[in-house]
Amino acid sequence: MTESTSTSAVLADGRPIADGECSHLPGDTHMWVMVLGDLAIFGAYFLIYMVHRAMAPEAFLAAQQHLDVTIGVVNTMVLLTSSLFVALSVYAARSGRPDRAIKLTYAGGACGVLFVAIKAYEWSLELRSGHTVGNEFFSFYYVLTGVHMLHVTLGLIILGVSVRELRAPKRRRITLVEQGATYWHMVDLLWIVIFGLLYVVR
Amino acid sequence: MRVSATVPVGGEPTLTDSQPPPSKRALSIAFWIFPGFFGLFGVVFVVLLRVIPPPRPDVDNKYITDYFETHHSSILIGLGLLCLVFGGSAVANGFITYHMKRMSSGPVFAYVYMGGLAVGSIPGMLLVAVCWGAAALRPDREPRIIAMLYDLGMLSFNGQLGCFATAYLAFAIAILVDKNNIFPKWLAYLTIWQIVTEVIATQMWQQTSGPFAWNGSIAFWLAVVVFGVWLNCQGLMLKKATDDHPAGTRPPD
Amino acid sequence: MQLLSGIDDLPRTANVRTQLMALWVTAISLALMLVAYAVFPGFWPPMSPEMSAEAVADFYRNNAGWIRFSMVTFNLCGLMLLPLFCVVTVQIKRMAAQSQAFAYCYLMATISGGTIFALAATIFATAAYRPNRDADLILVLNDLGWIVFVAPVGMALIQNLMLALAIYFDNGARPVYPRWVGHFALVVALAMAPAAFSMTVTSGPFAWNGAISFWLRNIAFGTFLVVLLVVSWKAVHRQAIDEGLTE
Repeated sequence: MTESTSTSAVLADGRPIADGECSHLPGDTHMWVMVLGDLAIFGAYFLIYMVHRAMAPEAFLAAQQHLDVTIGVVNTMVLLTSSLFVALSVYAARSGRPDRAIKLTYAGGACGVLFVAIKAYEWSLELRSGHTVGNEFFSFYYVLTGVHMLHVTLGLIILGVSVRELRAPKRRRITLVEQGATYWHMVDLLWIVIFGLLYVVR
Repeated sequence: MRVSATVPVGGEPTLTDSQPPPSKRALSIAFWIFPGFFGLFGVVFVVLLRVIPPPRPDVDNKYITDYFETHHSSILIGLGLLCLVFGGSAVANGFITYHMKRMSSGPVFAYVYMGGLAVGSIPGMLLVAVCWGAAALRPDREPRIIAMLYDLGMLSFNGQLGCFATAYLAFAIAILVDKNNIFPKWLAYLTIWQIVTEVIATQMWQQTSGPFAWNGSIAFWLAVVVFGVWLNCQGLMLKKATDDHPAGTRPPD
Repeated sequence: MQLLSGIDDLPRTANVRTQLMALWVTAISLALMLVAYAVFPGFWPPMSPEMSAEAVADFYRNNAGWIRFSMVTFNLCGLMLLPLFCVVTVQIKRMAAQSQAFAYCYLMATISGGTIFALAATIFATAAYRPNRDADLILVLNDLGWIVFVAPVGMALIQNLMLALAIYFDNGARPVYPRWVGHFALVVALAMAPAAFSMTVTSGPFAWNGAISFWLRNIAFGTFLVVLLVVSWKAVHRQAIDEGLTE
């Protein structure tokens, strides 16, 4: 990931500046470019979705009935939990407790894997019931959740980089860990919007 | 915070020594072919071939044959112009490859980028012009054959996924790992969006209408906006990398 | 070229040796391609774009054997020009620092260009595969084949431009290629350029069977390949001398 010149919250001799406190904008400019740009592009997707929905409200409504809201809620809880773990891991890293941070990152990552597994299961359900991209609502469903899953997978890789960073005693750059958390929170935020648009708004 | 882009020179001394003062004219020439080519690309694909923006997939054979008859001349001239200038893509992408070799991330991804785009230029750029040229060449051809060429052209142009996704992935990874800051990190993130648009483009092979068809709001319009932004950024950063290139140095072999 | 004894195992030696082998591979392939070129019935005379579907279908039916032989040979040997182009790439990389960038552009152009050549040969051979295919289908394959074979000269143009620029900027003590090679490359490029627009006309010297788009283009390119082969051999020889591998 990217390096930045902002100071780590851990002093050279290992003492933390303050427990959990931070003196700079978390992450760095490059990651924020990524996050904001990603949000913008997804924003465009959502807008286009809503336009198409407005053009054929009954068809979309009918198709939406076939989505299982329960699975959607479970997935949302899983991802929110993972975000909690990742946020806690950033606090732990800032407080100079890399081992705890690593464990929390793993926990967040595990939730991410669970999310993907549940989504794969949901896809197989829908496909077996015959809901393929032939239907316009479902083509949105597969594309939006598919691209989101791509982001989750990327996020897992980024969390892996965070873990690698935390493991090596000579590195442990806080900014890297923060960047990973920023990205992961973005992934979570995107899911919440997707969940709202596809599952809830009926 | 400027990181010097000096790269350690490869171990072997060059056989032919540069005479002082080293000039960067060669790099300058290579650079200016990038915007020159893409400018012509725009003329060919937007004005002449009319592939950008694309005509609709959900039309009947009669519409398609009329389309080729109406745009007969501009399509053939577009094909001709492309055949003349499309080597510019080899220069543009070869020059990016050269800069990638200056990175500290090793040569692998430079070669992947090179390979992916050397391949991609044929089914992903030339083929649509060739197919449409053949379609426009004989207006009295069977409509169903003309329609087939229409599809073959559009799908190969807009739906060419792997070559570009691979090249973009190589570009993004190389930048993220690079410590010589040849290209800025945010360009890597922009490139990841490009990969995402390629993944979304998979849908156009299954739809003839709607937002994911080859003319769709998402699969085409949004994708072309993202591509336009990305290409301009890549070009601007290429200029910067070229300007920052220390004269007389060369990347490791 | 006799290499000095005692240096057989050096990487420098292998570098020179493999370049020479590459040039041999291309030399043999060029010879074979010349044969294929001579026996492809569609080049003697080159087929007119104005031939009717029936005439084209008849042509493929009556000449299927020779068409297949020559196009398969083209397909097999065409890409074996790549070793020559890669020797040129290696030689460009030996040039002065400022010529380096051109090596990658050159290599990319040769790869794309070779792909196009293979595509044309494939299309022609497919047209000859089923003689009783409908005439209009054979016609469209023939059209595609001719367009792809004659018109996309852009990659070859850039190849030659990159080589010429690399040579012009090679201001080292011992230039890798003599300067006239650069001039010649540009002249060849100019000779080939008009062929790009061959499909816009159906008769006359600029049509895909015409004196300029077909004959001039192919003779110029073929001649250039032979010349490039010879000067590359000489360049590798000079490299061997410079690196102390031979006298």
